[in-house]
Amino acid sequence: MLATLVGLCLLTECSNREPSAPPAEEPESTREVAGPPVRGDWLVQWMLADPQSLNPLTSTDAASAELQGWVLSSLTTLDPQTLEQRPVIATELPQVAPDHLTYTFRIRNDATFSDGKPLTAADVLFSIKAIKDPEVNAPSLRNYYLSVADARAVDDSTVEFRCSEPYFRNDVILGGISILAKHFYDPHGELDGVSVADLNRWDTLAPDKKQRALRFAQSFNRDFHRKILGSGAYDLADPDRDLITGERIVLRHRNDFWAPGDVMRGDGYVDRLLFRVINNPDAALIALKAGTLDIMGLLPLQHLKQTDTPGFRKRFAKQIAFTPSYTYIGWNELRPMFRETAVRQALSHLVDRDRIISKVLFGYGEKIDSPVYRFSPEYDADLKSYTFDPERAKKQLDDAGWTDHDGDGIRDKVVDGVRTPLGFEIISNSGNTTRKNIGLIVIDEMRRAGIDATFREVDWSIMLEKVEKFDYDAVILGWQFSPADPDLYQVWHSSQAVPGGGNMVAFKNAAADEILVDYRREFDKDKRIALYRRLQEIILEEAPYTFLYMPKSITAFDRRFRDTKWYPTGGPRLSEWWVPRAAQKYGM
Amino acid sequence: MLRYALRRVLLMIPTFVGITFIAFLIMHLAPGDPVELYFHGGLAAGIQGASTERLADIQKAKEAERRRLGLDRPLPVQYAVWFERLVTLDLGESFKDNRPVWDKIRERLPVTITLNLVSIFLTYLIAIPLGIYSSVRAGSWPESLLTTSVFMLYSLPSFWVGTLILIYFCGGDYFLWFPPAGLHSLDYDPSWPLLRQLRDYSWHIAMPVVCETYAAFAALSRYMRSSMLENALQDYVRTARAKGLPERVVILKHILRNSLIPMVTMLADLLPSLIGGSVIIETIFSIPGIGQLGYQAVLARDYPVVLGLFAISSALTLVGILLADLLLAVVDPRISFGRAEQ
Repeated sequence: MLATLVGLCLLTECSNREPSAPPAEEPESTREVAGPPVRGDWLVQWMLADPQSLNPLTSTDAASAELQGWVLSSLTTLDPQTLEQRPVIATELPQVAPDHLTYTFRIRNDATFSDGKPLTAADVLFSIKAIKDPEVNAPSLRNYYLSVADARAVDDSTVEFRCSEPYFRNDVILGGISILAKHFYDPHGELDGVSVADLNRWDTLAPDKKQRALRFAQSFNRDFHRKILGSGAYDLADPDRDLITGERIVLRHRNDFWAPGDVMRGDGYVDRLLFRVINNPDAALIALKAGTLDIMGLLPLQHLKQTDTPGFRKRFAKQIAFTPSYTYIGWNELRPMFRETAVRQALSHLVDRDRIISKVLFGYGEKIDSPVYRFSPEYDADLKSYTFDPERAKKQLDDAGWTDHDGDGIRDKVVDGVRTPLGFEIISNSGNTTRKNIGLIVIDEMRRAGIDATFREVDWSIMLEKVEKFDYDAVILGWQFSPADPDLYQVWHSSQAVPGGGNMVAFKNAAADEILVDYRREFDKDKRIALYRRLQEIILEEAPYTFLYMPKSITAFDRRFRDTKWYPTGGPRLSEWWVPRAAQKYGM
Repeated sequence: MLRYALRRVLLMIPTFVGITFIAFLIMHLAPGDPVELYFHGGLAAGIQGASTERLADIQKAKEAERRRLGLDRPLPVQYAVWFERLVTLDLGESFKDNRPVWDKIRERLPVTITLNLVSIFLTYLIAIPLGIYSSVRAGSWPESLLTTSVFMLYSLPSFWVGTLILIYFCGGDYFLWFPPAGLHSLDYDPSWPLLRQLRDYSWHIAMPVVCETYAAFAALSRYMRSSMLENALQDYVRTARAKGLPERVVILKHILRNSLIPMVTMLADLLPSLIGGSVIIETIFSIPGIGQLGYQAVLARDYPVVLGLFAISSALTLVGILLADLLLAVVDPRISFGRAEQ
């Protein structure tokens, strides 16, 4: 099943083909592969903004996560091809007790941190304690680990975790813990005498233990913004030299990496990874053309208008791929006019997604009808779309009693004893021209159908507040798909329809609730798939969102790189990129 | 004079408190909340699939975060706490990454100060001779041409010129004469010989400096020109000419010196503008300066950083005005604040 899905997964093409050319075609640069991979050269990447901090737990932005991904390693990781877990620091996948509460990881005894010190079970134990310490400034991350009840090091190379509730993603969550070097992050051993169970009962914890956890957190929150130590293949040994705010970060390959040549365990072929901070996309494109960047994501216009020259195609290959995210319009069901399913369905029939994709995205997007990633097995391929059909929409509204009773040109209906016109405001975050253009197209069509729809851009932070407090009518937003093992509980369960919850449209459906809960406790993948197929039907029928599209990303990269493969996760695995010796551009 | 200076210094304190308090209020009363942004930054990226059965925990975490940042207290108290720390020259820590605000400002200061020093120096170096020339040749056709072109430069918006420079001179599809971004070459190494570092650095800041400089000629040279023309009509100039001094000496010694006096008032702007970064130019050329820091802090509602920058620039403005007034008295003996008071 997976294999066929993976084959379909990517719409890839070379720069000189039409965007819609189906499916998987290797970019030209990989056709002339010459022999086995060799070491050497640099890979220069673009960063839009400085990483917030190098602290692995307190930073929350994408740039920080990207850097930390190279420097730190975890127990297990997602295989971008099979979308299954693979061991990294662990010797194999964890042993799971029959009650699905105890997970035992055995770890490699040859793994070392970049300062040469060995990685042991004590470091793994320390890493979960650091996350669980309530004084550590990582509340969002800690939220993922709420159900870790206790953990202990059985011996130097075995760690056992106890969870408080069975959950099918426990192994993924535990395996994903970034392993921090205890001797580096907690040199005084403050957390040694404090257990995970202790940290779970913070309010009744003995004052001396509390003090220690507090002392650790204070120095951890404060002292690790500009230094980092991990067990990955690249390191930042000398931040004064290699970390220049607003300019660049250089990660250098470790000569003593413990799994040489093992790409799955994080090893890479290039000697240096250089991240350049360039805070505007136009300058970044010029830097790419000037030869000072090796890889960069292009905007559709940059792809179509600014890089379509023979000179550019000679030096750079382009890859077009789906990105695992989607954009939607959410209808706030606490608003009286959106309470009826028929209205939401009609509105979905009024959204011309083909026009949005061709006019706003220049064709670089694909219609979607489900909150499940198209290439994961849980996806239901038989879903019926809401076609763009204004006549049907109008009829549906008429049938539901939304007609123009007072002759002002706007449909209305008596809801809860109050004459309610069918009028609303769609909001979106300012600065996002894509969403703005979508909003304008959508309201145009709605107005023709007798609906008083308006569109407004608001500042990102203000939009968050409005959405969080259900103080809005409709919103254009995006979610990321999880490429593997989705859990949609947070977005669709009725318990999450509270201020601050992920269910910002207040979708409430008893059948969906039941599925969402059962799914989390189901350890049989096929049964999980069956449950989510049903869920997708419910969501499509109820139309709490009008699903719009999944965007396609365009990436340009220097042709000197080999093995530049794109994966179902939506991107390449840069660690396997290499450059033939003759084509290498930079020295050590 | 001394009494006057002392009085001015004392008056600066309430002025400073007033300025920063108003800035503080505007910032806090504007919509947007740093804690919500921190917790829901994920909504942008769309984090999905986490176990959040216990939403109360998030609510608790948000409250704890608010307490930690001191945002749960009444605004006047928050301001008092901030001011108390400021008195000991402590600007607090950034909300975004907990780093001391002063550290964040300090690491960007050298870039901005260098850029501004060079461009201010160049502006004066070019604008003053331009002003002298156009006053001496006032009304002639080369002078008209010069004035017209200086004003044309003045009217070109820097974001447009910057973008053109970037497209045509910094690689892209045209000439690769200057680097498109940053302050150092890719292979830059702090162990390079000083000369090589200097060359690399000048190559990188050349275009940003051009962008910051070209528009400033107009104002300054006009200022200089009118001041020169005014002085040229004075009696002492006629006397100088009458006693047979060469024209060179009349212009450069008598007129120029006296015309420079009003220029001293320009010093008031000089101090704050040394550390004030241009958001536009720093963004176009990806220069990690103060302007960028401030802009990003505003977007992220990073109150301590915004207030810190604001406090520094308002303090420098106040000091600059004071210095300019005092200097004026020093260079022009006709002005004496002390006597006026008596």
